[in-house]
Amino acid sequence: MLTIALSKGRLADQTLDLMEKAGYDVTAAREKSRKLILEDGKSGLRFILAKPSDVPTYVDLGAADIGVVGKDTLLEEGRQLYEVIDLGFGKCRMCVAGPASLKDKLDDIPNKRVGTKYPNITRNYFEGVKKESVEIIKLNGSVELAPLTGLAEVIVDIVESGRTLYENGLEPLETVAEISARLVVNRVSMKMKEDEIRPMITSLRQALAEGEANT
Amino acid sequence: MGNKFYTPDGFTDLLPGLCAYKRGLENKLRALYSLHGYDEIETPGVEYCDIYTQSGFVGEEELYKFTDSAGRLLCTRYDGTIPAVRFIAGRNETFPVRISYIENMYRAGKMGGGKQSGFTQGGIELMGAKGAKSDAEVLAIAIKSALEIGVTDLQISLGQVEFFAGLKRQMNLSDEAAEDIREAIKRRDNVTIDKQDISPEDKETLLAMTEMSGTYDVLDYFLPRVKDEGAKKALTELKEILDILEKYDFLKYINIDMGLIGSEQYYTGMIFKGYTYEVGFPIISGGRYDEVSKAFGKDISSVGFSISLTLALTALMRQDKLKTEPVASVICGGDYEAASSACEALRAQGTPAVLDTTGLSEDELNAYAEAKGIETVMYLNGGEA
Repeated sequence: MLTIALSKGRLADQTLDLMEKAGYDVTAAREKSRKLILEDGKSGLRFILAKPSDVPTYVDLGAADIGVVGKDTLLEEGRQLYEVIDLGFGKCRMCVAGPASLKDKLDDIPNKRVGTKYPNITRNYFEGVKKESVEIIKLNGSVELAPLTGLAEVIVDIVESGRTLYENGLEPLETVAEISARLVVNRVSMKMKEDEIRPMITSLRQALAEGEANT
Repeated sequence: MGNKFYTPDGFTDLLPGLCAYKRGLENKLRALYSLHGYDEIETPGVEYCDIYTQSGFVGEEELYKFTDSAGRLLCTRYDGTIPAVRFIAGRNETFPVRISYIENMYRAGKMGGGKQSGFTQGGIELMGAKGAKSDAEVLAIAIKSALEIGVTDLQISLGQVEFFAGLKRQMNLSDEAAEDIREAIKRRDNVTIDKQDISPEDKETLLAMTEMSGTYDVLDYFLPRVKDEGAKKALTELKEILDILEKYDFLKYINIDMGLIGSEQYYTGMIFKGYTYEVGFPIISGGRYDEVSKAFGKDISSVGFSISLTLALTALMRQDKLKTEPVASVICGGDYEAASSACEALRAQGTPAVLDTTGLSEDELNAYAEAKGIETVMYLNGGEA
């Protein structure tokens, strides 16, 4: 029995589509209900639906063998997992964003205040990559408000189309990381359940390659 | 301030019953280690912070720190190996030296959610001994340790850090590219490896590092692909280790995993991790660490391993392999003098017995015994019994 932790929402649906293409029976997981654990006795799969930021925790601690989660969450949670497939969907960018007037002038502001839902990614980027100290202000949503209200000079957030940013007079200024959904595996499960996990990885990779060939 | 009834985050009490069970496991390990000629040592549990941080063995944020009366920075014991190396490096020894330990370790800054900050490890260090035969001895004792304490569903991943170091030379990788690839191999991240600007054959070799598992077949796959002498030697040494483990009939537990790459400044040769069902972390960790003693001004080639008794206990519990029993099987009460001599008579025969010292009535005594899970109740009526 393999336990798979899915990130609730669109990522879960896309994952199930791919698994179906790869030949797995996922009807149990498609059931529209409020159940959080969906088990399929025949296929030997058990799905759990978790908040995206909790998926790495379930997998790291071995409550789930496999997880599907965005690279943003993986970077933020910083857990030790095997990151075996880039699933290609859920694509976006982690960006530093702010007023357009700050374009190319970001480095001139000393001790910037940065509003973000991702304090670890932000710290790693500014301290690790850009070698500068910043003041991080942890927010839980509508991060765009921060530069507009003067709470912070810039923000670090996910940018998909960038519409929310532009409509609020903000622009992506720097790219922190390219994001997409990843298949992660618990390090112990990879060893103890190798007979089930290896074939799944292989068939998912095949399904992905076929999908790319068709587009 | 903290509540009086709770332990600090990351630490737990060991309950009666479970504690006795764990002591039993400790004794099994102790007996096993001494059977192989390993002398047990006890380090103080408090060290100068420097011994861990000087060469970057352990990050500062992972140590519980405080100061002594002279203001020097101290920390609690983080692992068994570094204090053991400090201890041996400071003495005039005839090598090889074989030492063992069973101690509590304290690691701060770990992420929560099931990972303990305080836990017990048993382990051995074989110091001043080079070569695959020494490696194999330590690995064999590691496997015996797990089997001895009842962890029979065991998988050992065995790798060699010199292999990747050799490939780095062979493929002319820059330090930066090598670091990217090392991180990618650790995460089994094929995407990053695929993006590297290297020849298709090299890519295939690196990808195989993240994917292949087996025993001799894995070594046979890589051997024709390596030209670097260091990488070749890594493979032939692994083969020698496999040959020795086969004689123990331990090959069934072993998986060669060339993607197992430790932190470079610590491990210098073979490296292994042990896994079992129902715990998400490796319960065994070991390898060769020839460079560690250099931080103490000596040059002692060493190899060792540790097994986490705390994780093993969790695994056994979840695998339904753990049964605890109350210490005492008999309780004597009623007339104090009579009960006291009855207890002593039982103890003389080796039967654990509890003496009621609070003057319980027969009913109370029965109720007490039931609550404590004590099987036999002896209520004595003084001269009449």
